[in-house]
Parts: sequence; structure tokens; C-alpha cells
Amino acid sequence: MDLRGRIVRAALGRPRVLAAVSAGATERRLAVEAELARRGWPCAAAPAEADLLVVAADPGPGTAGAGTADWVARLWEAMPAPRARVPLADAGEAAAVLDHGLAELRRRGGARHGGGHRGGHAPAPPAGSPDSPQDPDGPHAGHDSGLVDGLPLAGRADDRDGLRLDRLHLPLGPALPDWPAGLVLRVALQGDVVQRAAVEADPPGPGRLPFWNEPWLRAAAGERVARGEAARRLCAAHLDSLGRFFAVTGWPDLAARARYARDRALGGAGAAELSALVRPLTRRARGSRTLRWLTAGVGVLPAGRARSLGVAGDAHGRMLGWLDAVARAASACDDGAPLAADPAVGPRGPVHGPVPASRALLDALPGLLEGAEFACARIVVASLDPDLDELARAPLPGAAHG
Amino acid sequence: MRTSDWQPVLVLLVPAVAGVFLLHALSAAVRPVREPLRTGPFLGGLEPREHALSRFHVRWYPVTMVFLAFDMEMLFMYPWVRVVTAVGPSAVVEMFLFLGILLAGVLYAWREGALRWT
Amino acid sequence: MAEHPPSWAVFALPVLLAAVALVTAGADALLAAGARAGPARSPREAAARAAAPARGVLRELVRQPRRTRAADVALVRVGAALLPVAAMLAGVVLPLGFRSVSDLPEGVVWYNAMEALAWAAVWLAGWGPNSALSLIGGYRFLAQGLAYEVPHMLAITTAALGAESLRVGGVVDAQSGLWFAVWMPAAFGIHLLSALAMAFWGPFDRPAGRDVAGGAAAELSGVDRILLLGGRWLLLVVAAAMSVPLFLGGGHGPLLPGWAWTVVKTAAVLAFLLWARRRVPALRMERWTEAAWVVLTPLAVVQALVVAVVVLHR
Repeated sequence: MDLRGRIVRAALGRPRVLAAVSAGATERRLAVEAELARRGWPCAAAPAEADLLVVAADPGPGTAGAGTADWVARLWEAMPAPRARVPLADAGEAAAVLDHGLAELRRRGGARHGGGHRGGHAPAPPAGSPDSPQDPDGPHAGHDSGLVDGLPLAGRADDRDGLRLDRLHLPLGPALPDWPAGLVLRVALQGDVVQRAAVEADPPGPGRLPFWNEPWLRAAAGERVARGEAARRLCAAHLDSLGRFFAVTGWPDLAARARYARDRALGGAGAAELSALVRPLTRRARGSRTLRWLTAGVGVLPAGRARSLGVAGDAHGRMLGWLDAVARAASACDDGAPLAADPAVGPRGPVHGPVPASRALLDALPGLLEGAEFACARIVVASLDPDLDELARAPLPGAAHG
Repeated sequence: MRTSDWQPVLVLLVPAVAGVFLLHALSAAVRPVREPLRTGPFLGGLEPREHALSRFHVRWYPVTMVFLAFDMEMLFMYPWVRVVTAVGPSAVVEMFLFLGILLAGVLYAWREGALRWT
Repeated sequence: MAEHPPSWAVFALPVLLAAVALVTAGADALLAAGARAGPARSPREAAARAAAPARGVLRELVRQPRRTRAADVALVRVGAALLPVAAMLAGVVLPLGFRSVSDLPEGVVWYNAMEALAWAAVWLAGWGPNSALSLIGGYRFLAQGLAYEVPHMLAITTAALGAESLRVGGVVDAQSGLWFAVWMPAAFGIHLLSALAMAFWGPFDRPAGRDVAGGAAAELSGVDRILLLGGRWLLLVVAAAMSVPLFLGGGHGPLLPGWAWTVVKTAAVLAFLLWARRRVPALRMERWTEAAWVVLTPLAVVQALVVAVVVLHR
């Protein structure tokens, strides 16, 4: 093989992977993340740094105006060559799919492409069809000011401090790093402060049980589920949320540890091992005065609202709540006694409520985001961590094995 | 032959800048697709409605004013460090009176809430 | 005053700095992988984990560059390239033992001037791609600069004041007895904090944070990405290495030759920074700015006053 080909093959040995995950694909996302960690392959934060796109997305209606296939295609078009794309239909196939992706990437990387192949590829159609079926604040000035490359420049609007300033309208999500799968926030930004926010939740495809609620749903359907299994799931769910929370607050070390513990919990580690993994995590997060200083007072909910959502008043309190629950669940995950069918309370709240617990969390978001600086907005979302899997139609009893 | 202390700095500029061009050339030689990829900005998969380039509202604007005062002060402070003993106590008194006045400005800005913006 | 170094030192400096940056990044990658997937099971696996940054450089070399819609390509190019070039130029005054590539008479000011170019570099790279997340990243760095730069300048001035010289060699000479870190601990601590902040790394990594999908680097691939992200490692290494001549006595020390002391002390500072970054979350500027101005700046001024009084009575 020629020198160039050899360099390319060596360079692509451990590709950076971007996972396109839709609501309803939590189990597949977890399988991919665990497998990537096991192999030491890095996780991409954006298409610019990704080599391999793993699509764990069900073809769904998507958010109004932009189907799942659309945003997956945009992610793909934004990735520089050499690149490869593989679908993941089942969590059990994660390892095989990554192997296949690597082979495909190497095959594509070995061949040299002439001009125009992917290089001069036309950008995704920008004008006319921006992904904005709903405008959070009605028509705005600026559309008449002329288009540059098919898009207008930002118009001006009144600002929270009584000024009149440029305002950008952005759809955030659904594939941002450390972001609830399927969530799209339409925000109006002035500088980096969120002026207005509207939530668009992409519901999961039909027939998928919410992964994090599964033990309680199965118990409610009359199946015998061990209490330990439910505790294990709860522990992993909160560790997953903590991983996101720490990643977003910029503490990659704790995020990595939380995710390692989560993977071990789902991988069947015993209560002793889990508790040993969780204890230092809890101690460091709880003891960090810096973290308290940075997240206390962010995303404050009125007491009554917080109580009805079953969460604490601010981002730091919500994190502490998860830490407590994780420590309790980790020590209980070897319990073989059967799980009572009632009350069925999953990681986010009652699994059979009239409104899914995550729907209530989503409804709380816009009010908390308005006036928040971008980094705070990310922390608010991470501290509530709504699970869009729960937005599936009410599950049919007995259809428990997804 | 070395004529000035600044000569090596100018000479170093050559390998540093050449290194940048060398990397670009090396990449062009080995990468499978030479032409750049033309694409939209990344926001999570969906397209924005406007260009991002705008008059970005910086909430920390008042901080830049306070900063400017200190930045000017540093212009005096650098040469000052070399003459402290030569000039004697008056050099120290004058410099720290000046710094004290600037710090009073910082306290005022702090009281007015200029150092916090959300 | 030390004699001039050989003329090839100018060409050795970029190579040496890049090598140290790669080793430091490798150590960080090893720690990160250990946190995510448990301790390495074999030396071979540990080596593969530590090689991640080197592999990353190779990977970006074979990747296609990107142009976002209506991007200002020239700004991106200049911004990305400016960071490593500025870091290397700042490295000119770094003494290995007692010899630097050039011991400029205004060495401390030169280091300050080159390091301040990062403001321009990161903002240009963030503004250029015409992408909201990268724009936010670029502006975050400006806010960060406003918070760290004044205490930083006061701290390095304090070291220069202790020696009454702006020559880095002069600052080292003044520490043949007591290291400055011992009697200027506040200035030393502030310098370490600002080393992290200017390299937008560790607890100050928000300008390129994951919450904005990589911020200023979010839209970069290929060589531009190597330059910007490699440049920040270079800047971290240069700033950390600079704390050795300014506060830790440079090449002074018993038994070992001067160059060895520089290497040992620099490695110790870098190891401390790698450890410390794993212990704290990232600092957001809308909270940190207040602390920097109300606590660090007066602290740095008081430290300078103490040193000035000591210098007067020496």
C-alpha cells in the first residue's frame, strides 16, 4: 500500500464518533457510549470533529417542519471527508456496527476523490425554508434588509435591559452534545442571553417503551420485576443525568466518572462495586464549593412549582437530589424482592400520571430560560434533564418487552 | 552573527510561520478530499433563520472601561519597576496612590453592579 | 548574565515546545480515559490512551477543511494560526537553565504582549465561521480576558519588581537565594490561574466548551483545528514554563545542572495543573469576573505593595 494510504489508515484507527439519537433510542445511545468508552474511541461534540456518524434514530414525524431524516442528513452533510455513516437498529449490535463503520471509513478514506465529489457539495438549502414553523415572537424586522447567501441578517428587537439590539433566532438541538435526545429549543438570542425560548419535543416512534421507566411499566403490567432491577435502572438514569450535568457545567472528570458508573450499573455490577464507584463521586460533587457557587441560584423554580415537579428549587439542589437517589439506589440494586406495582415512580416521577413527568419538566423550561445566559440555559436544561422517551403514547399493558 | 537581542525573535518568526504553511501543504498532500466542504453552521442539526454575524450584545461592556484604565496604568508600571530604588519612597507612594484611585473605581463599578451581568 | 545560545536554538525551540505540549496532552488524555473507562488493563492500553492527542493531530491532517456559509475564511485562518505562533514567540524569553533563545531587555513585557495576542486569535477564529455557537465561544474569551488579564499583569510586574528588572534572566538571577514564590505567594497563584485562563483550558475552557459544541473550535476541521487546539496547549506549556523563571527560581537548585532544574520544575507545574483541572468545574465569566476584580485585583495590588516596600528597604 502506498504511503498516503497508510497514513490515512493509521489516522483513522480510532475514529471520532457522532451519535445522532432521536427520542426513543436511549438504550441504543447507552450501548454506543459504553462501547466507545471500552474501545477508547472519542465522542464528537459537533460534526466538524466527527468521522463516523452512528444513526440511532427512528424514522419519525420529527419536529414540525423538520423530520428526523432531515436533521440526520444535515449532520451528515456537515461532516468533512473522510467520513462514514452507519445505522444502529438494535442496542445489541453496537459493537458490530462500530466495526462495520470503521471498515467503511477506512475504505472511503483509502480512495482519493477528485474535484467536486464531496468538496463542492452544495450546502443544505438555507433560504426560504428555514426550520422555523413557529416563531417564538411573531414577525420581526430585518427580513427586508436583503439576503446574503440566501439568509437575512439579524433584525433588531427590544432587550431586557431596555435597549434595542440585534436578535438571532436559533433552533438548538436535537443533536447538541449532552442534550436530551429529541429536544429542540427555538430561542431568540441577544448576545449570548436567551430572550425567549419555545420547546419543541420530538416524540419517539411508536412501540418504544421509555427505557428508564421500563421496570415500573413491566411491574404495572403484572410482570415480576425484582426491586434490585428497578433500583439499578434508577441509579443508571440519575447517573446519566449527572453525567450530562457535569459535562455541561464543565467538569469532564466527574462526568466521565458518572458515565463509567452508569455503564457499570447497566452492565450488571454488584451493589458493593457500584457503591464504591458512586461514593467518591458523591463526596466530590457535594463537597465542591466552586460547583455550589456556580450552580446555586441557577434555574430557580418557585417552591410550589418545584414540589409539583418533584425536583429541588435550583440547579445545584436538583443535582444533590440525584446524588442522594443514586447513593440509595446503588446499595439496593442486589435486592431480589418483587417490585410493588404501585406506586410506580420512575426516575422522573410517576410513570402513569395523567401527564408524563417529563412533559411537565419541558413545560417548566421556557420560563426558566428567559433572561438566562447561554451557559446557564444549558445548565437549566441539564438540571431538569427531561426524558423525551416518556412522551410516547400511553403504553399498552402487556406490550412491555420492547 | 548576532546584532541585537531582537534578531532571534525575527528569525524564529520564519520557522513558526513556515510550520503553519507546512502543515497546510502536508494536509493537502495526504488528505483524500482536497476541496473544502461547504456547509451550514452547527446548532444541533437544524438551520438558523439568520446569519450569526450580528452586533453581538456584550453585557460586560462596562468592564471593558474599567479594564482600559488598568491597561493604561500598566504602561507606567512596567518602566516603573526598574527605577523604584533609584527614585526612592516617592515612586512607591505615587504608584500606589494611583492604583488606589483605580481600585476605588473598581469598588464603585462593583457597587453599581457592573461586574455581574445575569 | 548568561552567554548567547547557539544559533540553532531558534529552530529547536518550536520543536521542543511542540514535543512538551504533546506529552502534556498525552498525560491529560491518559487521566481522562482512566476516569471514563476505568484504569488501563495493560501498559499497551495505557500507551494507546496517551497517544490519543498525537493520533488526533494525524487524524486532522487527513481531514477535509470546512467552510461554513458566508464565513470569513481569512479571519479563521489568521485566528487559528496566530495562537501557536504567538505562543512560540512568547517562548523566546523562556530560559532553559540560564540560557534562553533571546534574553530580551523587556522580556517580561514581551511575554505579556505575545500572550495577549490570544485575545485576537480566539475572537477571530470564533467570529470567522459565521456560526452562532462559535461566535459565543469567541466572545466568551474576550470576557475571560477582561477578568484574568489585569491580575495577571500585576502578578508578572510584581516578579519584575522583586528583581527590579524586566529581563527574565535578571528575574532568575534575583532568585539565587529565596524563590519569589515563597515571598510572593499571591502573585504566583494568580500567575498559575492566568496561565489556565489564557490557554482557555481546564476550569477556564468555556470559550471552547462542550456546552457550545466546541465554541471557537466548533466549526473547524483539518489544519485549522490542529492550529487552534494545538496552540492552546502550546500557550499552556509556555505560560506554565514561564512561572519557573518568574517565581520558582529558574535554573537555581542544588546538585542538578540548571537545565535539569528547569525541566523538573516545569514538569511539576504542568503536573499540578493537570491534577488541579480534574478537581474543579469550569468557571463561568459572569460569576468569575466579579471575583477577579473584587478579590484578585486588590490582592495583586497589595502583593505588589508589599514587594515594593521590601525592595525599598533592601
